Amino acid sequence: MLSGWFEARRSIESCEGSSPPTRGVGYASAVAMVTVVAAVTLLLRAQLALPDVVMIYLLVVTVVAARWGRAPSLLAAALSVAAYDFFFIPPFFRFAVADLRHLFTFAMMLTIGAIMGGLTDRLRKEEREARAAILSARTEAMRSSLLSSISHDLRTPLATITGAATTLRDDRGAVDREQRSELVATICEEAERLERLVANLLDMTRLEAGQPVRREWVPLDELVASASMRLERELGERTVTVEVAGDVPLAHVDPVLFEQLLVNLLDNAAKHTPSHTPVEIRVSSVGGDVVVELADRGPGIAPGDEDRLFGRFERGRSAPPGGVGLGLAICRAIAEAHGGAVTAENRTGGGAVFRVTLPHSATDAPSPHTPEMAPEEVS
Amino acid sequence: MTLPSPLVLVIEDDPQMRRFLRASLTANGYRTIEAKDGRDALALAGTHNPEIVLLDLGLPDRDGVDVTRGLREVVRASILVVSARGREDDKVAALDAGADDYLTKPFGVRELLARMRVALRHGHERDGSMSELVLGELRVDFDRRRVFCDDQEVHLTPLEYRLLALLAQNLGRVLTHAHILREVWGPAYVSHTHYVRVHMAELRKKIERQPARPKLLVTEPGVGYRLREPPAPEGVRSRS
Repeated sequence: MLSGWFEARRSIESCEGSSPPTRGVGYASAVAMVTVVAAVTLLLRAQLALPDVVMIYLLVVTVVAARWGRAPSLLAAALSVAAYDFFFIPPFFRFAVADLRHLFTFAMMLTIGAIMGGLTDRLRKEEREARAAILSARTEAMRSSLLSSISHDLRTPLATITGAATTLRDDRGAVDREQRSELVATICEEAERLERLVANLLDMTRLEAGQPVRREWVPLDELVASASMRLERELGERTVTVEVAGDVPLAHVDPVLFEQLLVNLLDNAAKHTPSHTPVEIRVSSVGGDVVVELADRGPGIAPGDEDRLFGRFERGRSAPPGGVGLGLAICRAIAEAHGGAVTAENRTGGGAVFRVTLPHSATDAPSPHTPEMAPEEVS
Repeated sequence: MTLPSPLVLVIEDDPQMRRFLRASLTANGYRTIEAKDGRDALALAGTHNPEIVLLDLGLPDRDGVDVTRGLREVVRASILVVSARGREDDKVAALDAGADDYLTKPFGVRELLARMRVALRHGHERDGSMSELVLGELRVDFDRRRVFCDDQEVHLTPLEYRLLALLAQNLGRVLTHAHILREVWGPAYVSHTHYVRVHMAELRKKIERQPARPKLLVTEPGVGYRLREPPAPEGVRSRS
């Protein structure tokens, strides 16, 4: 539904990429083309009648006008007039004009150059305006579909909460105990869902606004531990194994953001994999880069979705209802804010693996071996 | 116990939030007084001498950290600061300015009551020294300086023992990185947060059954560490 965002973005890029050719190129081309034509006509002087020569110069002016607009085409016209006069109008090889009737030809060439160039300029301008209109319409469409998606996802839990809460408020004894606790559980769960959504939206906004990353030297296993603890309830019966290679240096990351990245990856695994399946987390060091892998035995990723998954408001084709498609987008934003990357692929034997790569830090990690004894002696 | 119900000063500008806190705290055996802003709060704290202060850091009139500092000057109460997620710096600043613990909005009443219990206990037992601590599978014998996990003795380095002892003295309460560094390494090391992280990770490997899923020694992201109590019955109903 929101893949339009990407299209709009792509068309913004392509629009910027094909900006109209610059004036300088136009002038240079006008000079070059007239020079070539002057040389050719000079060589074929014996074979060409005067009207042919005029037509050839007009052709050059027209081509320059169509391609580069009015100013370069006027230059081409002026140069053509000069070359035509110099080589073909008696007295030859001088800029003087013996027969004044030739001045009429010159004027025609200049006028045609101006008209053709003007036409091109006007077409260009209209084309640009049309393109801008299409773009703004697309951006508008994207914005409103974003808004409708967000407001839908905010309203759904709100509607459930309001419904359940008013049922309890207005109850005259018709709701039995079991239904009552069911309603209360619904209210709590939906409120939590709302909280997660708002937190994700805030994170996204913060990262988009370019809030600086507050890096500290952190052992990654600590972040993995606190992330899997926060997700304990969602992970349920899934066994989470953590394997940290011995040579992994301290990571230079923002602990709050990086924990959120891990929480989102785990949350993603909890949402998409069946209960009782294993989730394996591996932290290793590859050529100085720190790599965190989270592998599951879920249904895997639909072919072609490996990159799309990390888009904002993008959801996997088999995603269960309830998500908004922000979690993985935030993972990517956080990884990139650290100069790293996050990728996803299917693993052999079934399931998906998400890989976060943190580049080798410019500064060396401090030694994890700190002074064992405090300055003042342990009592 | 027949102590009078503990008095809680609730400092919160949002009326609905005050209503929720009033209802749940009263239902759980606390008495409450309320302030809408920092000025009222300081006045009320001075005249009523509450045992616990629940302070929202996003007050309209004053910076939460200033209010914390102001409260510290007039009351001995435990101060619990409340703030939104993503404002970890505010929490750390308030904790370093004298607050005892924090809660992140939105919070559940269970979490609130657990923090209040810890706050009350630390208020009553200030400077009280214990000789033994038992937390689930973990047992710390402070007199002999020995630590046991599942009845197996665990060998800690002197530094790890000091870390554990500090956390145990503040059982259930969050300790900021700066606080831990100051207490264990000394004031000159306050900026070396990775010392704490590395040694906490080591300590966790020794005292947790599953270090990857810690039950006792938990990280509070961006703030510090907490030695957590195993879940206990709720409220202070036993008091009344």
